[in-house]
This record gives sequence, C-alpha cells and structure tokens, in this order.
Amino acid sequence: MASFIQLLVSGLATGAIYALIAVGFTLLWQTSQTINFAQGEFVMLPAFFILESMYLGVPFWLSALIGIALSIVILGLLFKFLIVDPMLKHGVLPLVISTIALSLFLKESAKNFYSSQAQPFPALVPSTDLHFLGAVVSTQSLVVLAVAIATVVALHLLLHKTRLGRSMQATAQNPTLARILGIPVRRMVLYTFLINAVLVAVASILISPIYLAKFTNGETLGLAAFLAAIIGGFNQVRGAILGGFILGILDNLSAAYISSQYRGAFPLLILIAVILLRPQGLLGRIEERTV
Amino acid sequence: MTAVLEVSNLRKSFGGITAVDGVSFKVRDGEILGIIGPNGSGKSTLFNCVLGQLTPNQGEVRVDGKTTTGMRPCDLNRLGVSRTFQLLQVFPQLSVRDNLIMAGQEHQGSMYSRLIGSPDAGLSDAAERMIEFFRLSHLADEQVGLLSYGQQKLLDAAMAFMAGPRLVLLDEPAGGVNLTMLVHLRERLQAYHAEHNATFVVIEHQMEFVMALCTRVLVLAEGRLIAEGTPQDIRRNPVVIEAYLGH
Amino acid sequence: MSRLGVIAVVGAAIFAIAAPFFLKPFGIYLISMWTVLTVAAIGLNLTLGYAGQVSMAQGAFIGIGAYTVALLTQAGWPYPVAFVCAGSLCFVIGWGLGYPALRVQHHYLAFVTLAFSTLVFLVLRNEEWLTHGVYGISGIARPTLFGWSTGKPRDFYFFSLGTLTVLAAATWWMLRSPWGRAFVALRENPLRAQSLGLDTRRYTLMAFAIGSGLGGLSGALYAPLVQFIEPNSFVLDLSFNLLLMVIVGGSGYFFGPFVGALIAVLLPEWARITEGYYLMVYAAMIMGMMAFCPYGVLGMVERAIKAVTMRGDPPTPILHAEGTSP
Repeated sequence: MASFIQLLVSGLATGAIYALIAVGFTLLWQTSQTINFAQGEFVMLPAFFILESMYLGVPFWLSALIGIALSIVILGLLFKFLIVDPMLKHGVLPLVISTIALSLFLKESAKNFYSSQAQPFPALVPSTDLHFLGAVVSTQSLVVLAVAIATVVALHLLLHKTRLGRSMQATAQNPTLARILGIPVRRMVLYTFLINAVLVAVASILISPIYLAKFTNGETLGLAAFLAAIIGGFNQVRGAILGGFILGILDNLSAAYISSQYRGAFPLLILIAVILLRPQGLLGRIEERTV
Repeated sequence: MTAVLEVSNLRKSFGGITAVDGVSFKVRDGEILGIIGPNGSGKSTLFNCVLGQLTPNQGEVRVDGKTTTGMRPCDLNRLGVSRTFQLLQVFPQLSVRDNLIMAGQEHQGSMYSRLIGSPDAGLSDAAERMIEFFRLSHLADEQVGLLSYGQQKLLDAAMAFMAGPRLVLLDEPAGGVNLTMLVHLRERLQAYHAEHNATFVVIEHQMEFVMALCTRVLVLAEGRLIAEGTPQDIRRNPVVIEAYLGH
Repeated sequence: MSRLGVIAVVGAAIFAIAAPFFLKPFGIYLISMWTVLTVAAIGLNLTLGYAGQVSMAQGAFIGIGAYTVALLTQAGWPYPVAFVCAGSLCFVIGWGLGYPALRVQHHYLAFVTLAFSTLVFLVLRNEEWLTHGVYGISGIARPTLFGWSTGKPRDFYFFSLGTLTVLAAATWWMLRSPWGRAFVALRENPLRAQSLGLDTRRYTLMAFAIGSGLGGLSGALYAPLVQFIEPNSFVLDLSFNLLLMVIVGGSGYFFGPFVGALIAVLLPEWARITEGYYLMVYAAMIMGMMAFCPYGVLGMVERAIKAVTMRGDPPTPILHAEGTSP
C-alpha cells in the first residue's frame, strides 16, 4: 500500500507534466490545424536555454524566467511566423513533415551546441522526503504536482473566465464564425502559440530535474504528449489533461509492477486499444465532415 | 410500388440548431424532383444526410425499400445512388477520359479482378460515349484542371452518370454557370433522363432552371417541408412566396 | 512518360549498371545501400505519396524484415522463402495496424506507427532469446541463387539492383492498373472518390499494407548486405529518414524514391564538409523545401520543364490539404 501511494503521487506528478505538454499540443491542433511533431523537442529545449544562462553566471530563478522568455520568442513567435504560416497554405501534410524535420533540427542543435551528455538540472526545491501513511513521498513530486496543477488551473481560468479566453475558444471551434463576430482570429491563434511556448517551458523546468536535460528527451516526451492527447480525446483540452494524468500514473505503475524493460509499451497498447474501441478518445466528440 | 427514395421523419441538429426538422417525402421512379427553399432552409443538410455524409439524429432513409440511413457514401453509391457537388469536385490532374473511367471503375468487378484486368477496367467505350453525349470530345485528353468552370460542371454531371445509376442527386448543378452552358446542361440532363428513364433529385436556387427541368417540386423552409406540387402550383403558392419574401 | 523522362531513366540505368566497375568496395557498398533503401522508399511513397498517409514505422518494418531473414536463414531456411516471409509478415502487420487506425480521420496512422516503432524496438531489444537483444545477430550470410554466390560486393550489388528492378516493375504495373487511378483519385479528391463508390478506407489500407510489405522486403535485402544487425539500426531515426527521403525525392512521383534515397545515402559523405552538422543542414533544407516547394526534387524538375515549355497554368500541387480542390 505504501509503495502504491508513492507510485500514485509520483505518477500524478509526471502525469501533470504530461498534461501540460498535451494541452499545448491540443490547443495548437484545435486552433490552427497544427500537428506539432516537435512538441517533445519543444519541452527538451528550454532546459538548455536555462543551463546556458546559468553557465554564464545568471542565478537559477532569473535563468528560468529567461528560459521562458526565450521559449516564447523562439518556440512561439518564430515557430509561428517562420514555419507554420508559410506551410499552412500548402496544406496540413507539408506542415506535419516540417515539424518532423524541426524536431530533428532541434535535437541535433541541442546535441551539437550544448552537449550530447545528460546534464543535471536544478530542482525547484531541494529534495527532502515526507512521511505520509507509511509512504515516503518526495517534496519534489508534490511541488511539481502543485506547480503543474496551478498552471493548468490558471490556463482554465484564462480560457473560461476571461473575454480573451472565450474568444480563443470561439476561434478554435469555428474560425469563420469568430471572424464574423469581430474576433481578431490571427491574434488569437498567435496567443495559442505563445501559451504553448509557456506551457512547454514550465514542463521543461519541472521535468528536467527528474529526467536530466538530454537532447533525446524529446522522443519520449513527444510521444507522451501525442498519446495523452489521443487517449483523452483529440479535440478537447480537458481530454488532454485527463489523458496526461492517466498516462503518468500508468507509466509509473507499469514500470513498477510490470517489467521495467517494457516500460514504454503499456501506454502504446492503451493507445491501440483506444483507437480500436473509442477513437474519439475518452472525452472527445465524434467529428463529422460535410460537403 | 416502392419508391426509389423514401425519407421518413429526418431530423438533424448541430448543437442547438435544428437544420432539418422532421422531413418526409418519397421519390417516384422516373421523376425529376426539385427541392427549393431560401438560404438556410436545410436543403444541403438534407442531401448530406441522404447521401451518408452526415448521420441524422432521427429518421430513416430508404433506397428501393432498403434502409440506408448512415451508410457510407461508397456503399450507397454501389447501390446505385450517385451525386454531383455544389462546390465542383473533380480530379484536376487526370484527363477528362480518366475522370470518367474513374467514375465507373469501382463498379466493374471486384477490387482484385480490377488489379489484373485491363488498365481502363473495360470502360474506354463507355467513357467515349459519355464524352460524345456531353459534347466534350475536343477536350477528352485535356487535364481537367485546365478546363473552364462550365466545362467542369458538365464533367461533374457526366461522372455521376457513368455507373448507370438508379438515382442521381444533383446539388445546385446550375450554380455559377453562364447562360449558354446552362441551357446546354439542362438540355443534356433532360436527354439523359429521357434515354435512361433515370430518377433525379435536384437542389437548386435558380427558379427558371427548376421550373424548366423538374416534374415535381418540394419547398423547404427552416428545416421543414412547407409545400409540394408541380412547378406551376408552387410558383403561385402563397405560403412559398411568403417564405421567400419573408427572408 | 515523356521522352525526356525515358532518356533520363535509361541514362540512369546505364549508370547504375556500369558504376560498380569504377568504384572501390566502399562505393559499391553505398550504391548497394541505395538500392536497399529505395525499395523501402518506394513502399513509403505508396503510403505517403499516393494514399496521403504519414507512416513512421517504415524503419521498423525494415527491422522486422531484416530479423526475419537473419533468423530464418541462420535456421537453415532457403533465402527466397525467407525473403517472401519477410514481405508477407510485414504486409499482414501493416494491415493489422492500419485497419483500426484508418477508421478515424486526422493523422492517427502517424501516431499509431510512431507508437508501433517504439514497441518494435523494445521487443527487438528485450526478447534476447529470439533476437539476441543488444548483441544483435552477426554473420548473416549472403544468398546463393541458382549456383551464383552474391558474397562479393559487386555480385551482391547486382542481386540487390535486380531485386529493386523487379519490385519497381511490379509497383509500376500495379499503378498502371485501375488501382493506380484509384490511388490518384484518393489523393486528389477523396470526397468525390467516395461518392463514386471508391472505398477509400480499403484502398488506403491496401497502400499502407503493400508499403509496409515493401519495407519488409527492403529489410530482407538489408540483412545480407550489412551482415550484422542490432536493434539500434532500426530506431525512429530510420523511419524519419525514409520519410524525408520520399519527400525530398518528390512525394507521389514514381521515381521520387530513387532520387530521395540517393541523396540520403550520399548525405553523410557531405558530412565531412559540414563537420557533423549535416543532419541540421538536412533538416533545415527540408523545412525550406516545404515552405517554398513541397513537391521535392522531381516536383521542381517537373515545374521547371513546364515553365520552359510554357504550358499555361502551373500544375496543381501533390501535397495539398485533404478534400480541397486547388
């Protein structure tokens, strides 16, 4: 029971991080038909911005902010203007290919310009242990969980309680109608890119202490994002959150109770099961195409 | 005698909006039925439900007595139902001839027999006849993307006829076509109808086209059927006039 | 095919046959690798260029094919039988994967194949009793066919070139049949195709399964070429590279895979100039290409020729959003 609680807590913590990544991914897909195959690398990269900044002598807390800012500029603005906008007029497929190429580009950049070795990354709080119901729970897990949940709640408030957020939702659901209603659609779409940039940067700060900053992180994290988004329901932000948590818990449980060699396999089997049995995901709606 | 097409109590909503609200009608063998109505009356949604593009929330569609509600468009086509599109849908990179062969090939044998059979699936002659019928002979080997809008519209109709369908649904065939081509199109549709005793259902905005072509007309407004009759009756019907003028 | 095209193909064929007599063993190895990868790229071109689906598992299918042949031949089975098994197994797996994934819209197949790739790697690495795990399988023999041994580099090259030619011809024949027309219709206007009775799901599935089968056959050639295989050869990077090969060559063009594979095989040689940054340069090139000319090398060539002969409106793009007519 004790180890189960430990696994549950750490599963929720990783799940919360997956949720952040999956939400950003889903937002981009919903608002601008952008399937960002480089999402995993987007999470991998800010850690390196921060490490580089710290190497130059800047303290961690400031480096983190710089990292988030750089993420907004590069993974938000530049990504949208240099890559997404020129591609979209050619259709969805070229954009998909471009983001695949981009993931390769970012991965190689990190490897060449920083290091191919895994780098330790400072945690938000020094790692101490709490004792709870006989289980040993690290404060790090709790802090990660808290920060991730806070971010998700903030995002939820933004999307549902503010005028800006509701405009973004309208844009996601029906861009033509939104435009007619006077919503500046292009600006709304830009905001989703910026939000995604913030989400991936936060996810990066939270996960790098655990996984270490490695140029290959993008592969697993990206896969986690796609799986979470699909399991939860491709067209729903809430689904992405749910999917993230489910994935995080399953991941940790399967590593402990099933062989750790096949750690990555369990979520994949869930994916295949979801696609077979309920392709719109747990919370998604079936979409129809009209002429 | 069973109707070629029978729609019963069809209802389709999108969120809070009911686009089609309990529509029922029958299409008799050999008739040309027109469906008209002001914008937003639900004509296109009705079509899409009949053709399997959308799944209705309620109601049934039957073709020759067989229930086809929610059937996939390709399966429906194999039962003998074909359609044209409001927004032109052709294969721009293929030639006119190839477009027509494509339009008929899925009805020739099985998928595997087509693999080992001849490259044109035995349809060269049929395609040639169709090209002549629609007077497109001089364009037969041209890439369709290079044809004019009106010519592509003719091809659109020709493609729908290639498989010798039981029932053809035409979605605004006259849309955007110039007057000369329009006369030619209508005349070709009537000729085809006479030659094959085909059954057509036509959605159209252009009144003259409907009046000249159709034998019976249904009027839709706000998702409901409000009138039915010959073109002459409809033109004089006060309810119909109200529906159009009131918008 | 235009006259220019025929001349180009004949010229390339002459070059391909003459080349090994002027190259050192490493050069022959490179062009042998080119033939092997082209088979896989032809398969992926069917899936991507004709059926419009992104598959991230082509590398995994090469792996499955390679391991199948390695294990069967080392157990005493004749190579031709192992070859056919490799292709059939991958065809069946492709069908099994694609069947559920293609019932949904969006690019679900992309994610399913991504997940499948990772799964295959895990199985290859973990199931040591079967695959020897990370130690790999070494000493894979090159086949002897009708008394002719393919052991030497030049002999194996001709064997592999011959196999490529046969498979390419078979694909050409398939694309000439009504299936080819159906694939083009599927790519150009799936909506219209459906309303004409074309079962888009069945054709897409078929394209993907055949494409995967060709991946398996490519693996069947890969194993005896390199004679040592291990799980790390078949990770996601290989699938990415194959995807990029098809795109760079020209997605949807019959000879696109030949061109794309050639570029990919020669690329690491250009690496010496860029000092290891070549992957970044390659990736940047892809992105640039997608922005300005997503039609690949052959697409650019086609446009250049059409511009020179001035045939009027520019041709429509191969890669365009589903369901829209240009």
